[in-house]
Amino acid sequence: MVGSGEIVVDGIHKVFKKGKPDEVRAVDGISFTINKGELFGLLGPNGAGKTTLIKCISTLLIPDSGSVKVGGYDIYREPLDVRRHIGVLTGGERSLYWKLNPVENLRYFAALYGVPRKITKERIEYLLDLMGLTDKTRVRVEKLSSGMKQKLSLARVLIHDPPILLVDEPTLGLDPYFARFIRDFVKNELNRKLNKTILLTTHYMDEADDLCERIAFMNRGKIEALDTPERLKQSMPQKQVLEIKCQGTLEREMFSSIEGAASINISHGDGFAYLRLNTDNPEIILGNIIELVRENAKIYSVRVTVPTLEDVFVHLTGASLKDG
Amino acid sequence: MSFNQSRQGLIHTLLHYLRAINAENIKEWKIEFTYKPDFVRQFIEPFVYLFPYFLYGFALLGGRYSEHLRSITGISDMVAYTFIGYLFIGFLNTACWAMGFSLRKEQWFGTLETIFVAPVPRWVYVAGMALHSTCHQGLIMLIQAVAIATFFAIVLHMSGIFIALLIVLLMLLGLYGLGIIVAGLTIALKQWWVVSEALSTLIVVVTPIAYPLAVLPFVLRKLSMFLPTTYGIIGVRHFLLGEELAIALPTIFLRLSLILVVWLTFGMIVFLVMDRYGRKRGSLSIY
Amino acid sequence: MWVIVEEVRKSIRILLAYPAEVIFWVFSPLLWVIPLVFQGKALVGAFSSTQFGNLAGTDDFIPYVLIGAIISTYMFSAVWSMGNSFRDETYYGTLEHILSSPARPAYILIGKGLYNSILSTSFVIVQLLICVFIFGLEITLIKILPIFMFLLLLIVGLYGIGFMAAALTLLVKEAHGLLHMFEYILFLFSPIRYPVEVNPITKTISVFIPLTYALIALRGLLLNIEFNFLKNSVILFGIDCVLIPLGLIVFHYVEKRTKTRGTLSDY
Repeated sequence: MVGSGEIVVDGIHKVFKKGKPDEVRAVDGISFTINKGELFGLLGPNGAGKTTLIKCISTLLIPDSGSVKVGGYDIYREPLDVRRHIGVLTGGERSLYWKLNPVENLRYFAALYGVPRKITKERIEYLLDLMGLTDKTRVRVEKLSSGMKQKLSLARVLIHDPPILLVDEPTLGLDPYFARFIRDFVKNELNRKLNKTILLTTHYMDEADDLCERIAFMNRGKIEALDTPERLKQSMPQKQVLEIKCQGTLEREMFSSIEGAASINISHGDGFAYLRLNTDNPEIILGNIIELVRENAKIYSVRVTVPTLEDVFVHLTGASLKDG
Repeated sequence: MSFNQSRQGLIHTLLHYLRAINAENIKEWKIEFTYKPDFVRQFIEPFVYLFPYFLYGFALLGGRYSEHLRSITGISDMVAYTFIGYLFIGFLNTACWAMGFSLRKEQWFGTLETIFVAPVPRWVYVAGMALHSTCHQGLIMLIQAVAIATFFAIVLHMSGIFIALLIVLLMLLGLYGLGIIVAGLTIALKQWWVVSEALSTLIVVVTPIAYPLAVLPFVLRKLSMFLPTTYGIIGVRHFLLGEELAIALPTIFLRLSLILVVWLTFGMIVFLVMDRYGRKRGSLSIY
Repeated sequence: MWVIVEEVRKSIRILLAYPAEVIFWVFSPLLWVIPLVFQGKALVGAFSSTQFGNLAGTDDFIPYVLIGAIISTYMFSAVWSMGNSFRDETYYGTLEHILSSPARPAYILIGKGLYNSILSTSFVIVQLLICVFIFGLEITLIKILPIFMFLLLLIVGLYGIGFMAAALTLLVKEAHGLLHMFEYILFLFSPIRYPVEVNPITKTISVFIPLTYALIALRGLLLNIEFNFLKNSVILFGIDCVLIPLGLIVFHYVEKRTKTRGTLSDY
């Protein structure tokens, strides 16, 4: 049994297409507790089961087994009370009515959440001001940029001032400016200032590292590790990471014979291949590694750094956060 | 919790739901207004839809009046008879299409999950759509009624209008029962529109819209006894045109009341079961 | 060419996954005739009317309406299928993918139209067989060839209308409603349910609708009503010659306009 907290998830399972050849065990016996005022992160690649878990917690899906309590309310017996206490923000743009303007959207959601009429108007004004959207009040949502739409979605989530927020991939598809704004807002305004309990899912390692007090690594429906970002990083047996940026074809197997190298991870981005491996003695193995890489690729840079959450994830699961 | 407290809680919840239903209605009006040509079309279309039924009658009779119709209904004016029938069947769209379509529409907008995490039961959205569509259809019908009655110089008996409206109200509540069944089925079925189409076609066939019950074969006549539209149209045509009643008035009220209770209850059960099924399978979000 | 064949194959496979839809398309024209049968019985007291015969050339209104229903459904399903084809693709999320593929969209449309023609023709055959066995409609072997000729002339013209309907759905977001309106207008102004001679306005406007000539010819053949074979076939052929290029031009223009303005995925 998991202890008391603002969100208590205890042994939940969710299997799709049960008994069929393409059965998916989306959530496979997950338990954790999120304390009041905590910013908790679920980090995992696409398809890890994060969104299914959020859907179970927000009463959109009924789990096959296990229990979930949100703000002290049971998701099976008191779904309406659960929904009253949560705000759900998802990435992507289509959680608003594009044909309506921001005020009309917020007024509609205020009615759904039973926000008293008397305070609806001032609440909407306050939120639009907070999001810097006061000059867009009469512009149809379809005319707003992706970032502005996400700001408005944030305002929508806050319309009933919920104590608990479920935030699913909030910066997905946003440009760096708006992504930064959303991250800062979630951390400083919502968590620190307003003391909201927040469950954030993301597959961006930096986002989780930046924002979360505790992080659960999720992979294939299971939680692989749960701790503070610092302790997760410290848990790595090797304390240093060797990173080589190159252009060419690299295979993991090429480096398997090197002693003292662990959690070998090859990723691609911006036309480059990145080789990352964990080690305690970079200066000893560096020569061999460079030799192997140069057989197939042209090296652009080499650096030695400390482990990131991505490295921990690779170390624990063998999978990359960019998989899926 | 004391009785008073729980009563207050109940009233508060009820007011919350009513407000949400109205918000849904207003939202729909606003969205519809943004598609202006489509909005205008919806007011013209019923006329274009209705005229073929008149012209068909004209072709059969070589004129407007039918001796045979008078002998079986007491009304000889084919245009007036058909017009009243089709006028009120417009509410069928509310049940079979607007209510059934409501959740799928939210899904196409991409807003379904967003509204589903709001603290109101899911039937509230369907009820909101029912309110909106009833207002919308009501407005269309009013315009249609005035225009057609003026154009064809049809005299309606206004003295019975209130009882006629009461009958329409009961019919509507019964139709909402059907609508919520369709809405429930849309959650589970990919081809929900076949259900809507089949149901509306069936209702149009067995409801005495352009003909009296007397011409229907036995089986269809029995089937029509289970539908609110049958009593609705018989009653309304009696009060507005003076059609001879095929069913006694108290029986009409009694059966309409019974039908609305049965359909609404059955509809809610189907909807709740389907909603639960959808949340277990996650079926709505698959498509 | 293989694009068209593949499109037909894909569409048939998709449809076969939805058996309820097949049943619906087979029975719907027969179903919507029923109210008209009862309405006729209530108004006339019988299943034949001399007044109707004066205008239509046959006193029996049931076979008259039945043929109107079958042939018009043929037409509507083509317009719906081609008009909605790109709309469907936007729902499946494959529209942009298709339009950016090297295959010309017109071929995809032809594929969809062809698929629909094959499908509708098989439905019409089933419906006519039902009419032969249940309603005693007589179809002799000698009539089959001219029946198919007129059906073909109708289908070809439909492709032109289908192209325009598809263009409309690319242009107008809520094309569904407009297609409905188009359907109702055809019901009103062409001899689907009644002879258009019943009213001078419907008589005048029906002259411009290709369906009118196909219905006159097919009813003439099936119900032995006198009609001008040559005149109706020449007019239908002439309409086809205009509609196909017109449809293609309109579609190409709209497609180009949509691509340059980037309103494609703006649903």
